[in-house]
Amino acid sequence: MKEGDQSVNHKFSVDSGFSENPEYTQREEYGMKKNLVVLLVILVTVSATLFAGGAAEADKGYDIYIYNSKGENAAQFADMAKAYEAETGVRVKTFSIGSGQDHMETLRAEMNSSSKPSIFSIQGVKELIEWYQGGFVVDLNTVSYQSFKDFASGISPSLRLTNDGKNSFGVPYNVEGYGFIVDRQMVADLFGSNKVDAFIEDTKAASYAEWEALVKALDSYIKRNTAATVTLNGNRYALAANKTGLAQKLNGVFAVMGAEKWTYGDHFINVPLNAVFDGPNAAAEATEAQIDSLRGPLMAYAKALDLKTSYLAGMNGAARRSQDFVSSANFGYDQAVQIFADSKAVFFKQGNWAYGNIANVNPQQAARLDFIPVKMPFQAADVTLPGMSVEKLNSSIPVFVPNYYAINSMVSDKEQQLAMDFLIWLNTSETGKKYVIEDFNFIPYNADPATTELPNSLGNSILDYIKSGNIIAAPYHGAPATWSGDVVGLRLMEQYLTKANWTAQDHQAIVDYAIQSWKDLN
Amino acid sequence: MRRGLFVYTEDHYTIRRIYMDFYKKWFWPLLTPAIILFLLVILFPFIVGVLNSFLAWRGTYYFDPDTGVRAQSVFSSFVGFENYRNAFQDQRFVRALIYTVQYTLVAVVVVNFVGLGLALLVTKVNRGAGLFRTVFFLPNMLGGLALGFIWQFIFQIVFTNILFSPEGLLHIPFLRYMTQNSTKALFALVILNAWQFGGYMMIIYIAGLGNISRDYYEAASIDGASPMRTFRSITVPMLMPSFTVVFFLTLSNSFKLLDQNVALTDGEFNTRLLAMQILRTVRDTTPPDYGKAQAQAVIFFLLVAVITLTQVYVTKKRELEL
Repeated sequence: MKEGDQSVNHKFSVDSGFSENPEYTQREEYGMKKNLVVLLVILVTVSATLFAGGAAEADKGYDIYIYNSKGENAAQFADMAKAYEAETGVRVKTFSIGSGQDHMETLRAEMNSSSKPSIFSIQGVKELIEWYQGGFVVDLNTVSYQSFKDFASGISPSLRLTNDGKNSFGVPYNVEGYGFIVDRQMVADLFGSNKVDAFIEDTKAASYAEWEALVKALDSYIKRNTAATVTLNGNRYALAANKTGLAQKLNGVFAVMGAEKWTYGDHFINVPLNAVFDGPNAAAEATEAQIDSLRGPLMAYAKALDLKTSYLAGMNGAARRSQDFVSSANFGYDQAVQIFADSKAVFFKQGNWAYGNIANVNPQQAARLDFIPVKMPFQAADVTLPGMSVEKLNSSIPVFVPNYYAINSMVSDKEQQLAMDFLIWLNTSETGKKYVIEDFNFIPYNADPATTELPNSLGNSILDYIKSGNIIAAPYHGAPATWSGDVVGLRLMEQYLTKANWTAQDHQAIVDYAIQSWKDLN
Repeated sequence: MRRGLFVYTEDHYTIRRIYMDFYKKWFWPLLTPAIILFLLVILFPFIVGVLNSFLAWRGTYYFDPDTGVRAQSVFSSFVGFENYRNAFQDQRFVRALIYTVQYTLVAVVVVNFVGLGLALLVTKVNRGAGLFRTVFFLPNMLGGLALGFIWQFIFQIVFTNILFSPEGLLHIPFLRYMTQNSTKALFALVILNAWQFGGYMMIIYIAGLGNISRDYYEAASIDGASPMRTFRSITVPMLMPSFTVVFFLTLSNSFKLLDQNVALTDGEFNTRLLAMQILRTVRDTTPPDYGKAQAQAVIFFLLVAVITLTQVYVTKKRELEL
C-alpha cells in the first residue's frame, strides 16, 4: 500500500510539472531565427504549388470541352470525341458524369473553375432558368456565325429549348418516348401468332374501357386460366385455351418499379398534364384556373395508376401494393427490368432508354419490343387544351427532348465557334450520325421517320408514333421543380403504394394533394 | 500488472531533454503545413460561407433580386437576414432539426451503452481479447455509404422477410419495414450507428479503463464493496475523461450524420436529418438556393458548437482533479 501511495503521488506531480520545469524554459529562444527561415521556405513552396495552375493559362490541353450529363454513353462519347479529333484535328476533352449521379453539382463546380466547359448539357426548361439567370447560355438565334445559325434554325420549333417561345438555347441530344412496353412473342403466345400486328395496332387505338377489360381478362387468365375473349378497337381477340410458351411464365400483368418515384411521379403523371398544357412553357406559366382544371385529368390518372398497380407481377409470384412494393430491394429499377425480361409480366411502363437494360438480361426479347400508349379514363370535359382529345391522349405516347447541348457564353469566342462546328458535325456528318444512332442508341432529333431505320426495336416504335403524329409533349418539365417526383411521387410512395386497396376517397385525396402542392410551390 | 505508474529517474529526464530540444527547434516548421491547410480548407471557406449566407447566392452566380438576373456586383445581391428567415420558415428544415435532436438523444445513449458494454466485456475476458477488439472495431473501417446500403439490405430483406416476418424466427412487426416509417427509421439509424461507432468508442473506453489503478479496486474489495458500487463509485468517476471524449464524439457525429442517412432512406418517409436537409436544399428549388442552404449551414454550425461546447464544459467539470 505504501509503495502505491508514493507512486501515485509521483506520477501526478511529475507529469503536470513537465512543461513548467525551469530547466527547459531558458531554452525558449533557441533556434528562433533558423525556424523563421524554414517557415518562409515552406510558405513560398506551398504558395508556389498552389498558384502554379494560373501560369498554364496559355494552353488548357484541349480546344473544346464537352460536359455530358448522360452517363450511360460515357465510353461511346469519348470514342466519338476521338473520331472528331482524328477528322478535324480539334482536341476535344469530354467529361461524362456517372449514370444516376447528380450532374448539376459537378457541372456547377466546373462552371466555377477556370476551365469551364464549352458545351454543357441542360435537361429541359427546369434547368434552363439557372443558366439563363446566370448568363451562361448563348441564344442560338443571335449567333453571328452563319453556318451555325442556319443549322440551329433547322431545329423543329416544338423541340427547342426556350423560355419565351422565341429564343432557343440548345441543340437536342435526341428524342425519347415512353409507354407500355410489350413483347411481340408474348402477344403471339397469348392471342395467336397471326394476330400480333392486328392486336398491337388495335391496342394502340383502344379506349380506356377496353384497356381495363383487357387487363382484367389477362389477370384472370394468368391466375385462374380463364380463357376469355376481349374487344379492342371494336375487334375481338380470343386468349389461347391453354397457356403455351412465354405465357406459362406470367404471374402478373404489369412490371412496376414501386421504389422509383419518377416512373409514377414524373412520367405517368405527365400524361394527364397534356390535357391542359401543350408543353413545358405552358405548364411553367400555369394560371390558378388552369391548375384547377387539372382536377378531372388527375382523377383519371389516379384511377389508371390504381389499375396499373393492382395487377402486379413480382420476382416470385404475383405481387400486391404493400410495403414490399416500395422497397428498392424488391421493386427497384433492375428488379422490374428483370421481372419483365423474364416474361413474368405482359406490360412494362418504361421508355426507350430501358432498351439497353432489357437487352442485357434478355437480348432475344429486346429485339421484339413495341410500345402501347398509356391510357387513362379521361372524360371529354377534362380535355381543355385546344386540338387535344380523349382519343388522341389515349393513342399517343409522350415524345420529348430529355437533354440539350448548350454553348457556354463564358468561354472565348474562338472556343464557342469551335463548339458550334462540333455540334454541326455531330448532327449532320455521316460519322457523327453513326455515333448518335449506333453507339449512343439514340433517336436523332432530326431523323426523318420515313427513311430512318434504327438498330433498336423501341426506337423504331417511337419513330412509328412520330410518323403517325400520335405524340404528346412533356409539360411536367415545366411544373414546379419538385412537384411531380419529390412531392406527389413521394406522397404516392409513402401513403398509397403501400396500401392494398384504394377507395374513391383515396383517388380524391391524391388529386387534392397534387393540385394543392402545385399551388403551394408556385 | 501496473500501468501508468512509474517513478522518473535521471535517465528519463535526459531523454526528455533531448525530446524537448527537438520540439522547441521544430515546433513551427512542423506546425506550419497544418496551419496553412487549416486556413485554406477550413477557415477561409468558412468565412466565405458565412458571407454567402447573407447573399442571394445561386451556386455559380450571385442573383440580383431587383433585375432578376446575375448581379453586376456582389453588393446588389445582399439580402440581409432573409436567408435565415427563409430557413426557419421552411417546414422541412424545422422538421429535420427536430428529427436530428430526437435521433441524437437516442443515439448518444445507445452508442455509449454499447461502447462501454463492449469495453467492459473485452477487458474482462482472458482469451481472445485481441480478436474481439478487432472484430468489434472492424465496422468502423467501412464507409458510411457502404454501411448504409448493407444495412438497407439487412432491414429490407433480412429483418423484413427472414427474421421477423410472420413465418420467420420471431414475429416482431416493429422490426419489419424499418426504413418506411420515420420513427422506425430513427431506430434503424441508431442500430446502424451503434454497430459502426460502438467499436470505436469501445477502444476509447478500454484505454480509459486501463488507466484506472488496480489499487482502487483492491481497496474497494477489502472494504467489501459490491460490483455495482465499485462500478458507480470508482469506474464511472475515474472514466470521466473518456466520457468527455466519447460524449463529444457521439454528439457531434450524430448531429452531423449524413452518409448513412442518404444510403439508408434518402430522406424518404420524413427521415431527413439536418446535414442532409442542407445538402438537399439546393435541389428543392430551381435555381438552387445556395444562400438559404448556407444560412442553414451556419445555424447548424452554431447549434453543434454550442451543444458540444456545453457538453465538454459540463463533463470536464465532473472529471476528478487528482
